[in-house]
Amino acid sequence: MSVEFKPYPFEAKRYAARIPELDNGRETQRHAVTIAGGGPVGFAIALGLARHGVRSVLIEADDSVCYGSRAICISRRSLEIIERLGALDGFLAKGLPWTGGRSYYRADEVLHFTMPQDENQKLPPMVNLAQYHIEQFLLDAAQAHADLIDIRWCTKVTAVQEDGRGATLNLSTPQGDYEAQTDWLVAADGGRSTIREALGLKLAGTSYEGRYVIVDILLDSARPTERLAYFDPASNPGSTVLVHKQPDNVWRIDYQLRDDEDAELAIKPENVIPRVQSLLDMMGETAPWSPIWITIYKANALTLERYNHGRVLFAGDAAHLVPIFGVRGANSGIDDADNLAWKLAFVVKGLATDTLLDTYSDERVYAAHENLSYGTKSTEFMAPPSFAFDLMRSAVLSLALRHPGLRSLINPRQTSAIAYSASPLNATSPDAFADGPTPGAVLPECPLTLVGPGTSRAGHLTDLVEPRFTAFWFSEIGELPPALTALEATLASRAVPFAVVPLASNRPADPTRPGGWDHTGRLFPMYGATPRTLYLARPDGHVLGRWHGDADALAASVLAAIDHTLRA
Amino acid sequence: MTDSELDVVYTRLCKTMTELGEPNTPLFLARFALLAIERIGNAQTALGLIDAAHEDLAAPDSH
Repeated sequence: MSVEFKPYPFEAKRYAARIPELDNGRETQRHAVTIAGGGPVGFAIALGLARHGVRSVLIEADDSVCYGSRAICISRRSLEIIERLGALDGFLAKGLPWTGGRSYYRADEVLHFTMPQDENQKLPPMVNLAQYHIEQFLLDAAQAHADLIDIRWCTKVTAVQEDGRGATLNLSTPQGDYEAQTDWLVAADGGRSTIREALGLKLAGTSYEGRYVIVDILLDSARPTERLAYFDPASNPGSTVLVHKQPDNVWRIDYQLRDDEDAELAIKPENVIPRVQSLLDMMGETAPWSPIWITIYKANALTLERYNHGRVLFAGDAAHLVPIFGVRGANSGIDDADNLAWKLAFVVKGLATDTLLDTYSDERVYAAHENLSYGTKSTEFMAPPSFAFDLMRSAVLSLALRHPGLRSLINPRQTSAIAYSASPLNATSPDAFADGPTPGAVLPECPLTLVGPGTSRAGHLTDLVEPRFTAFWFSEIGELPPALTALEATLASRAVPFAVVPLASNRPADPTRPGGWDHTGRLFPMYGATPRTLYLARPDGHVLGRWHGDADALAASVLAAIDHTLRA
Repeated sequence: MTDSELDVVYTRLCKTMTELGEPNTPLFLARFALLAIERIGNAQTALGLIDAAHEDLAAPDSH
């Protein structure tokens, strides 16, 4: 039995602090946006702002990307966002894609679930990769925008003062301390957010008592990538064990502690190693292995009531803590970033009133409650909070093999995109649709032939989502009515990023602008579209409104929806 | 019944039992079983369900 710890097969580059130009201990330049926290959420916000041409300063307390076992599963929706941020390649090259998982009760497989995956999808439903890789690929993309993203490593926020016009930060580095001023402060500084603390804000909700030990190990195994859950396995009777494969032969194992076990003792290697060994024996994994990392986890289901507090905006774990079961932590943070970046960029550029940021809070607090409700259900199954949940779980697991109708209760309810169905931004429409995303939902994926002047290549609908409002105009051959080109000119004169993108049911003969051809014939029915249907999408790919009919009326509806958004 | 409806019923059952406490739970489950039997209204089905619930459950050791 091996007891020697090995390091992660990843070497993080170290960065030193850098002190900007100061005047009397205060940075001479006041910033439009400062982001506290260089995790996945902070980087995603900085990259999102950069896509809109907005500069930000990113403050990170450490000298490198993170260490240890944190987020490990990135969802399709997150990958869509990451693609728009220009960082997808590394995620797909390094990450291990997977589509489903298996749950066992004692020796029997009682559930084999699959996540939505069909021929319309561009991206896998989930990829596994370690958070240090997630942060590294986002950092690589941020470094490619060094003109717009100013990263300050080894810099700690020690105090913050919000004054209605912005915030003043006290920053501490090994090279000395200084003060910095910013118009907007984004708090993406994690579950123990310094900024949340400094503002006297508290997360509210439920904290669970059930504890899980999290162990990363190095093990060479050809076992496929899927989520494995073992309930009451012969190797660890009475426990629940989760196993996830990660790149570079790293395996993540989570197992539940009994209520009477002492946490301090439970994470001692001499207590962890025999349990892991016995699990691997049961799984038939015979290769030598080494532990890398051991920690303990308790599920929380907590959120702030609002995510905007004056000039301070909260995102990711600083705003909400969702249980790990269902992998909604980093994924919901990346969705926060995607929602916040365009709204903050529009406000900073003077294109929208500050009230647009209220809708960031409205939409993402709503999403957090959705995520918490699914996460709570998963947690109630994975870490039963009372004798009753424990008893009922035993009943489900012992019946599931012979009674398939009960298996859905074991399903881990993996993260999925949240529709902002009650968003105040959603445009109403009198038009009936047989199918397709309603306002607030994300655009369902569909293969397309991407056409443009002199070009034609295979692609997908989401390839056409850019940092702008996009009006998808459905027609037979991609011709644009004058009312829509006039609308483009109107919005261009106001510097509002907007484009009309034609989607054609027949191959456009001589396209004059980028658009799509529905060569599979699946797009139009999927969107309930006929010629003269228009979908208006936000910069984050959520539908703002949809209409059918006369182009003049459509142009007026689109303009009204955009105006309403900018003055929400 | 959809998956999410089943989920709602399951959670309500768990929460009700949690509220009642462990000592009251067997009686609560017995009452629930009787109400379900009465609603099923078919002896053959109910007897089949009793067998299905009994399956794989060992009687406790007598010591």
